[in-house]
Amino acid sequence: MAPSRRTKRVVASQPGFLNLKSSSGAAGLPSIRRKRVNKNKKKNWNKHSDINDVTEFLEDVRHQERTIGGLLSEKSDDNLFFLDVGQPKKAEQKVAEPVDGKKRKGKAVRPLRIDLILQHDSLVPPPKDVLAYQQPNAKKLRRIAQKAEQLAAKGVVPRRQKQLLNRRPADRTAKKAVTEANNNPDREYYDIWGQESKDTADPWYLQQTGKKRVKRPEKLNEKPSVLPAVEVIAPGGSYNPDFFSHQALLQEAHEVEVKKQKEEDKIERQLAVNKEHIATEETILREQVEGLVEEETEEANEEEEGVAVGAITVAEKKTERQRKKERAYKVKEQLRQANRYQNDKRQQLFQLRSIKTSIKQEEQETKDKQKQRKAKQEAQKAQPRRLGKLKFKAQDMEVQLSDELAGSLRQLKPEGSVLKDRFKSLQKRNLIEPRERAKFKRRLKLKYVEKRAFREIT
Amino acid sequence: MGGLQKKKYERGSATNYITRNKARKKLQLSLPDFRRLCILKGIYPHEPKHKKKVNKGSTAPRTFYLLKDIRFLLHEPIVGKFREYKVFVRKLKKAYGKTEWSSVERLKENKPAYKLDHIIKERYPSFIDALRDIDDALCMCFLFSTFARTGKCHVQTIQLCRRLTVEWMNYVIASRALKKVFISIKGIYYQAEVMGQLITWLVPYQFSHDHPTDVDYRVMATFTEFYTTLLGFINFRLYHSLNLIYPPKLDVKAESELKEENDDDYAMNSESYLEKLSALSASLARVVSTAEEEEAELDQFPVEGEDMANMEAREKEQKQEEAQKKLFEGLKFFLNREVPRESLAFLIRCFGGEVSWDKSVCIGSTYEVTDETITHQIVDRPNIDKQYINRYYIQPQWVYDCVNAKIILPVEDYFLGVTLPPHLSPFVEEKDGDYVPPEKLKIMALQRGEKPAHEQEEEEEEDEEEEEEDDNEEEGDDSEEAEEKNLKKMEEQRSQGKSLSVKVTAGKVKVENPARLEQEEKAEEKRLAIMMMKKKEKYLYDKIMFGKKRKVREANKLAAKRKAHDDAEKSKKKARK
Repeated sequence: MAPSRRTKRVVASQPGFLNLKSSSGAAGLPSIRRKRVNKNKKKNWNKHSDINDVTEFLEDVRHQERTIGGLLSEKSDDNLFFLDVGQPKKAEQKVAEPVDGKKRKGKAVRPLRIDLILQHDSLVPPPKDVLAYQQPNAKKLRRIAQKAEQLAAKGVVPRRQKQLLNRRPADRTAKKAVTEANNNPDREYYDIWGQESKDTADPWYLQQTGKKRVKRPEKLNEKPSVLPAVEVIAPGGSYNPDFFSHQALLQEAHEVEVKKQKEEDKIERQLAVNKEHIATEETILREQVEGLVEEETEEANEEEEGVAVGAITVAEKKTERQRKKERAYKVKEQLRQANRYQNDKRQQLFQLRSIKTSIKQEEQETKDKQKQRKAKQEAQKAQPRRLGKLKFKAQDMEVQLSDELAGSLRQLKPEGSVLKDRFKSLQKRNLIEPRERAKFKRRLKLKYVEKRAFREIT
Repeated sequence: MGGLQKKKYERGSATNYITRNKARKKLQLSLPDFRRLCILKGIYPHEPKHKKKVNKGSTAPRTFYLLKDIRFLLHEPIVGKFREYKVFVRKLKKAYGKTEWSSVERLKENKPAYKLDHIIKERYPSFIDALRDIDDALCMCFLFSTFARTGKCHVQTIQLCRRLTVEWMNYVIASRALKKVFISIKGIYYQAEVMGQLITWLVPYQFSHDHPTDVDYRVMATFTEFYTTLLGFINFRLYHSLNLIYPPKLDVKAESELKEENDDDYAMNSESYLEKLSALSASLARVVSTAEEEEAELDQFPVEGEDMANMEAREKEQKQEEAQKKLFEGLKFFLNREVPRESLAFLIRCFGGEVSWDKSVCIGSTYEVTDETITHQIVDRPNIDKQYINRYYIQPQWVYDCVNAKIILPVEDYFLGVTLPPHLSPFVEEKDGDYVPPEKLKIMALQRGEKPAHEQEEEEEEDEEEEEEDDNEEEGDDSEEAEEKNLKKMEEQRSQGKSLSVKVTAGKVKVENPARLEQEEKAEEKRLAIMMMKKKEKYLYDKIMFGKKRKVREANKLAAKRKAHDDAEKSKKKARK
C-alpha cells in the first residue's frame, strides 16, 4: 500500500508528468514552481526523489513480458515481421484439395491464425487465487478423516451411522394419505359398527384439544315427520288394476282436479269486472258536465256546514248541591252492590247442586278441547310444515285413464317421474324446505338494435 | 316496580331459533354449501310454534333452524373441507385463466376431498338404526343408477350407485328376503324383510326418464352422496352376516360356468365383473364355503305368558315362510328378450328358481332356449312361432302374482294372448268388512288349499265363487239377526209356557245337540251382556254395530256392482263372438 501511495505522490510532484488533474491544475496556475525539499533526510528521499523514469521503464519491461512474452528488443526479426507477398494462390489449393481429402484433414488440425494471435504468450503466469485452494479447518478435518480411516480399518462403525442403520426403514410405497373422493365407484367399505375405538387417553385432554367429536344431541335423531319414506301408490295405480280400485283412484284424482278448478274459478270471479263499474253513456255524460251544473246547491251546503262547525257545546258548571247528591248516590249504589253480593253468596249455598253440575260441565268441555287439540297435533305431525317462503305443493297424482292402461307389461308407459316423487317426498317429510328454482337474472338489460342490413329491407 | 325493564325477544323462543341466513353467516358458508352440510348432518329446518315471536315481531316467512343444532354444526370437520374446496376452486379458476397447465395439474392432483364415515357413525350409532333408514337410500341409489351417464350428475356417482344396488340385490337373493312386489305405473315396488325390518323400495322402469325441471338436482345429489356411503356400510355388514365375501365375488362354480362366453362382446374388461354380478344369474362366493346349506332346526322355546296355541300358530307361520322362500325351487325359467330382464331375474332368483336369457340380451346367461329342462318360458307377445311342448309359455305377470300370493298360481290365466287377471297391490291390508275384489278372494281360497271345484270354464267358476262369497257374507250379517230372532221366540215360548194351563204329556227324549247348545249359551250370554250395558255404553255399542253393518252393506253393494260389470262384459264378449 505504502509504496503505491508514494509513487503517486512522486508522480504528482513531477513537473513533466501530465495527468488529467494536474493538467487542469496547470491550466489554472500560471507557473509551477519546483518544490524545494531538504534532501538530507531519508524520508524526503523517499518522498520527493523522482523515480518516475525507473518505474516507467520497469512497467514497460513488465508490460512487454506480459503481452509479447519477452522484450521486443531481444526478439529475432522473424518473429516480428513477415514478408507480405500478396494474395496466396487459391486456385492451386482448390485443385489440390479434391485429390487428397486426407491431407486436408491433416491441415485442419493446424490451429487457425486468429487463435494463434489470441493465444496467451506472456511469460508471467496468471496469479493464483490462494483462497480457492485454502480450506477452513483443513487440519482438523484431515485429522478426523485419518481417525475415521483408522477406525474403519478396525471395523468400528461410528455412532451416527449406527443410528441411521438402526432406524426403521420408511415406508416408501405408502403415498401421502390422499382422501379419495366420496363417489369413487371402487371405494372400500369396512365394518363401521363393529369396531369400538378405545380411547386410551384422558377424555378431558381429548375434549380440550379438540380430538374428541362433540356428542350429537339426542333430539336430532328424531324424524321430523311420521310419514314413511316410501309411500306405496294406491292399488288403483297398478299397471293392470282391479276395476274398482282403479275407479276409486280416478275418483280421487278427479276430486283433486275439481278442487283446483274451483279455486281458479273463485279467483277469476273475484277478479271479474263489476258490471256496475262499466261506464255507460249516462255516466260519461255526467262526468263531462261535472262542475258545470248544480253549483248552487253546493254553495248552500257549504253554508250549512259552516254553521254546524261553529257550534261548540260548552258544558255548564255543576253546583255544590249537585255534587253532593252525586256522591251520596254513589255511596248508596256501592252499598247496594255489596249487599247484593252478600245475598248472592248466601243463596249459592242452596244452589250447590247446580253449581256442581256447571263445574262438571266446564271440566268436561276443557277435557274435550284438550283431546281435540291433541288429535289436531297428531294430525299435524303427518302434515308438511311451513318451512320457508313457499308452501308445500303436493305432486300431481299419477293416474292412467282407462284407455291409457297398457294390456301387457311390454306396452306399459310409465307415468310420472320417480325423481320428482322422491324430491316431493323429501319435502313432504320436512327434510328440505320447498323452494323455487332461482330465476335467471340478467345483470345488464338487453338492448335490441336493428342492424342496418335489415333496416334496408324492412 | 323495581328491576330492569325486560327487553323483548331476548329470552324464550326468540333465542332458541336462528334464521337460515344468520346460521349461514355464522358458519361462514355459502348457501349451497350450508344446505349440503345440513343434509349430510341430518339437520332439518323447524317450524316454530310462535313464528312472530321468533321472528322478532315480523311475520315474514323465513326458514328457521334450532340454534343448538347450528352450534353443533360448528364442530363439524367437514366445514373446514368445504372452505378448502372453495379456495381450491378459486385457485383452479385462476390457473385456468392464466393458462398455467402445470399448476392446473398440480391443483387437480391435490383436490380436497372429504369422507362421510364419521357422520354415518354419528347419525346411526347402531346397525339397526341404519337399517331402519335404508328405504330412502335404496330408492335414491336405484333411481340414480338408472340415469344416463350424461351431464346431470357425476358419472362416478352413477357407477357407485349401480354397484351398490347390484350388491343389495345380490344380498336379497342370497338371504331370500323378498316379501312383496308391486308393478305400478310409476315403477316397481319391492318389499323385503331384513333382520326383522320391513324395507320398501321403489325401482323406476329403465329408460323412462324425462328429467323434470323443478327438481333440485344438487339437493338430490347430496342426499345420494350420503346414502351411497350409508348403503355401502350396510351392505358390508349384511354380507358379513351371511358369511359372504364383501366386495362380492361370484361362486367359483358359477364363475366357471359363465367363463365360457367371450365377455368382450358385452363390456370392457374393467366393467365386465360388475356386469356379471348385475346379471344376478350366479350365486355368490362365501367366506366359509359350505357344500350345501344345512340349516339346523332351531328349537322353539315358548315365551313366557304365551300359550301353546299361540306358539303353534307361530310355528305354522314360520313353516309357511320357509315354503315361500323355496317357491320357485326346481323350476327353470327362460326370459324372452321383450320382458324386463333384471326385475324378473331378481324375483326368480330370490325364490330359488333358475333363470337364463338369450345370449345377445345380456351377459351371464346360463342355458339356451333349446334346453329341454326349461319348465317356464316368460313371453310378452301375443304369439310365438316355435313352441316347445314340455314347457309353459306364460306372461311375466304370473311371476309377480305368484310372489304376492306366496303359492304357485295356476298358469292357465297367464297363457299367451289371454286377458290377464288384474295385478293386485299386495300392500293393501283389508280389514274384515271391507270390499275384497273377487280375484283376491280366489287367491285366498287357493292359499287355504281349496281347489276350485271344476275347471272347465273359468268364468263360471269365478262367478260361482263370487256368489258363494256373497252368500257367505250375507250369512255373516244375517246370522246375528237370526240368532236373536230364535232367542226371542224361545223366550216367548217360555213366558207363554207359564201362562198355559198345566198339562202332562208323554215325555220325549230330547235330542241334545251339544254344539247348538253351546252356541245358544254364548248367544244368551252376549244378549245378557248387552242388556246389562250402561246407557252410554249401549249407545256406543249400537253405533259400532251400525258402522259394521254399513260397511258390510257397502261391500255388498260394490260386489253387486262388480257382478253387474262382469255380466255386462261377458254379454259383450258373447255378442262379439
